[in-house]
Amino acid sequence: MTDLGPLAVAFSVMVAALLAVLASWLRTARNARATAPERVPFTGGRAPSVHAWSRYHARYYPMALLFLAFDMEMVFMYPWAVVFVTEGIVAMVEMGMFIAILLLGVLYAWRERAFEWT
Amino acid sequence: MTSVFRRMAAAADAPVFALAGAGMRWAVQDLRLADGVTLVDSPRSASILLVAGELDPRLGEAAARVHDSLPHPRATVVWASGPDGLAGADAERIGHDADPVAAARAVFRDLVLGRRQSEPDLLPDMDPAPWRGVGPYGQGGSGMTGGTPYGRPMAELGPDRDGLRLDVLPTRLGPFFAPLPAGLELDLRVAGDVVVEARVTGSEVGTSEAAGRSTFVRALTQPQSIADLELSRARAHLRWAAEALRLQGLRAISLRALELARTVAPGDSAAVGRLATAVQRTGVYRWSLPNVDDRRRSLLADARLGPVSRACGRAEDERLADPAYIALGFAPIADVGDGVAAVWRARFGEASQSLDLASRAGSAVTTVTGTTESPRGRIALGDAPTARALELVPALVEGLEWGDALATIAALDLDLDELAALAGVTAA
Repeated sequence: MTDLGPLAVAFSVMVAALLAVLASWLRTARNARATAPERVPFTGGRAPSVHAWSRYHARYYPMALLFLAFDMEMVFMYPWAVVFVTEGIVAMVEMGMFIAILLLGVLYAWRERAFEWT
Repeated sequence: MTSVFRRMAAAADAPVFALAGAGMRWAVQDLRLADGVTLVDSPRSASILLVAGELDPRLGEAAARVHDSLPHPRATVVWASGPDGLAGADAERIGHDADPVAAARAVFRDLVLGRRQSEPDLLPDMDPAPWRGVGPYGQGGSGMTGGTPYGRPMAELGPDRDGLRLDVLPTRLGPFFAPLPAGLELDLRVAGDVVVEARVTGSEVGTSEAAGRSTFVRALTQPQSIADLELSRARAHLRWAAEALRLQGLRAISLRALELARTVAPGDSAAVGRLATAVQRTGVYRWSLPNVDDRRRSLLADARLGPVSRACGRAEDERLADPAYIALGFAPIADVGDGVAAVWRARFGEASQSLDLASRAGSAVTTVTGTTESPRGRIALGDAPTARALELVPALVEGLEWGDALATIAALDLDLDELAALAGVTAA
């Protein structure tokens, strides 16, 4: 039973701390309850006519392409970093070529306005 | 410990959201240079609401809504406004000649130190309608929210734009939306961040004697000193530049433009030139400002919008009809490039040219009345360039992305004070 003493103390401290956090949160939450006019999103002073929830295009396809462009770079860079010291300048040049080719993909995505969230 | 923090907070700059009423647009802009207050773009970031000048009665409800959007603790300072500046608010009222910065700081300090009560809401704490679903207790229903939340329906589906049917979100902007002049209200329908439909629903800021006393409005009825007119023109262009640069997020250079607008003197063309070079070096012309297609360019060219029309290739200027200007060797600036950047270049060029004219004009006065070239274009009794520009706004912004739409509207330099002043001149 005495073995469980420290555990019991730690548990009590943890519960007390949790209760203290909860109590302070409740106090803040009660004081911070926003009134109806305070809850309305601000767009200049007029009441909104529709609910603010709206579906928009997440553009998964350009996102996937961009992810591949940057992810492949990392996949190759980790093993390259391991052998870089032994291979020397040859590894440096090879990585430069690889990055340049990848960069073309990124520039293509840029031209296709994939970085613009519309 | 708490009191130490309170004192530190009270020593900070007071975050102020300003409602610029009739004739007070530039007075509010000047507060950006003041020490001790920070003008913020959303009431959610402010502690002090500054109501400057008279607001049109139609803006009363919107002003109350802005007031209620400020987080607690909050207070209102009513500057140079009548007894019903913001009806109901337990406000600090100061006269036209009082210092709004000192008043805002004192009120902010009292608020933070707990010596002043936070103001309660002006509007009732009631949702516009109950949350209504289909069940007997208002629960359930279709759609993301499972009902009609507080009487606000969901955004409707728009036409297929690129393979997906997306929501078109109706958005009401203004009358106190920071990137637009106070009083301007736009109803936009937005798909993603592309504006698919736009409508101007309000352009009242109220009338003020100060707006009617503008040099350009006076020049419609009696001869005015060309030196005064041109200095006012240069200052108006620089003030516009300060606002447009702020909208692009270039705060430091925007303050530099504003400082120059306040202090510039006839003959200071070189100072404007240096500012224009600094603006060019920020890269804003290449990176941030949209292109203007042929359809929009011809609309803008035909509307006699001063530097905007001249930047679109139409070298029309009312000053060409005035022999006094011809004697000074005046010729409109044209061929300043393409897109909205051309409008910026045109304004900097004309500010510089105006300062040069002002230094050479001596005691010359205008010899033509009835029409004048204001910094925004041709004005006449009952005919304001802002009215012509507002008619074009839907055609200009539809199809543009959000940021491009705002930059395009900013380039027009809409001035609702001038609009109200010219309407007043006709009525008189």
